[in-house]
Amino acid sequence: MKVKYENVSFNYNPTAALSNVSCEFDSGKTVVVAGHNGSGKSTFLKLMNGILKPTEGRVTLGEIGTEGKRTSELARLCALSFQNPDDQLFAQTVKKELRFGIDNIGGGDGLYDSIVDTFHLSEHLYSNPYALVYAMRRLVVIGATATMGTPILALDEPTAGLSIREKGYLGNLISFLKAKGTTVVIVTHDLNFLLPYSDEMLLLSHGEVQFSGGRDEFFTRKDARDVMRRSGIGYPMYARISSALDLGKTAFDAEEIVEGVGKKRAGTTRRTNGQHQLEGA
Amino acid sequence: MKIVSLAGFSVSYTKDSPPALDRIDLDLNSRESVVVSGLSGSGKSTLCLAVAGLTDTFPAMTVSGEINRGESADGKPLRVGIVLQNFYSQITYLRSTVMEEIAFPCENLGMPREETARRVSDALNRIRICHLAERSPLELSGGEKQKVVLAAAIAGKPDLLILDEPLSQLDPESTAYLGNVLSELKKEMALLIAENDPYLTLKVADRLVVLSEGKIIADGSPETAISPSTATCLDLPAWTKCVSKADEESIAGENQATRRYELNYRKALTLLRGSV
Repeated sequence: MKVKYENVSFNYNPTAALSNVSCEFDSGKTVVVAGHNGSGKSTFLKLMNGILKPTEGRVTLGEIGTEGKRTSELARLCALSFQNPDDQLFAQTVKKELRFGIDNIGGGDGLYDSIVDTFHLSEHLYSNPYALVYAMRRLVVIGATATMGTPILALDEPTAGLSIREKGYLGNLISFLKAKGTTVVIVTHDLNFLLPYSDEMLLLSHGEVQFSGGRDEFFTRKDARDVMRRSGIGYPMYARISSALDLGKTAFDAEEIVEGVGKKRAGTTRRTNGQHQLEGA
Repeated sequence: MKIVSLAGFSVSYTKDSPPALDRIDLDLNSRESVVVSGLSGSGKSTLCLAVAGLTDTFPAMTVSGEINRGESADGKPLRVGIVLQNFYSQITYLRSTVMEEIAFPCENLGMPREETARRVSDALNRIRICHLAERSPLELSGGEKQKVVLAAAIAGKPDLLILDEPLSQLDPESTAYLGNVLSELKKEMALLIAENDPYLTLKVADRLVVLSEGKIIADGSPETAISPSTATCLDLPAWTKCVSKADEESIAGENQATRRYELNYRKALTLLRGSV
């Protein structure tokens, strides 16, 4: 489902958190939202399912504006997983937590089973969520929002506190949702991990949009580094390596780096061979 | 000087659960920074709680083995500060400004007003959150709250500062900056940091302890602790496997913009090329 923000501003009295934000993301896209601490990222997400309502402007999910709608209605379109998992957990067991949304809103058992598998939660289903380690609590919360099968899923800092193993599970979930056509909006500082999965980017700084558009488009811009610096974000690791190695095209994961280095080497060898022939002639 | 010493120390959260820490032997020394890494569930947070003396707060928990704490330089009991993984739970919300929130630990230590004010302004400067001083803790973002809790812990000037994933919610710029702050802090106090980010580890750690299923599987300088047998428990960047020597040089030679990363790339690569 499409997500559209039109000239959206939001104030926590009296502090302005977002000013005049406009952006639009097509159905089925995976979007990363990045920016410095306090740039308005979490506020941006909370406006999406009506936990917050714009002070000015309009947020539209598909054709439906969030104005005048309650969160209970909007949550059927957009499920949100909070920055702090402990704010969201309440059920006695992991299974009840994961099924709460399905029983209230829908989703279905197929989705529940896939998410239990993807997150390797089967042996914890009858544990109290608070008895699990932090990383697993986060996965339970993300799982509980994903099981509802809403057309939009919003995740706030989903990789914080996850070790490499659980990050892998999360990556698998994003790929799975993408294949299902879910629009996934992810607030994150972990661009190194999430850029490979993303189609679109939204960069925020002091509540204002610095960039909104396609990931690949962004990295062809000459001022990409400056824009990121203004947003308080370091230039991502693989993009940095790509430019240091002069790969020509920005890579987003290790495999693309290897591929790029391979192509570059092949290119260099051909050129060298050509030179030899010229010299020989 | 030894400040905390664990011997054969085990912890289980309930009678039937497998031990979260399994016969741990570990000495922490003054002015030493120790990073604890490992997959989630390996016992990092439990170790932090145990060293801080917070294991008694879990009624069903069984603890065995020994833990001994040394004294502060002034002969008083060892002062320990901690930033929990769930740092949200550490903000009192009883104070209306960030400045007062940071003063809270100092006030509880019975510090004179002037000293408290000095420490608060020092902590605000150090963590670079002077702009938040007059704001209400309630209206801060997650990352800003994490910085406030860290500032409050530093203001108390503990002998040992325990940090459980202290930079988890911070933007990359703050992460890099606070990495430097932690490197500076270890001259003033001992640090015990649960962390999986290899960059921070290489920047701050004098010693790296790797945990797996509650046991210590490596304990030593990062150079010795990172090995093929521990690599699977660490969040090492995948690219270290495939970047060749020549490429490394071209990375290291890149301009000013990458200087911040330069040392880490080179160090990580040198460390990891042989091991992964």
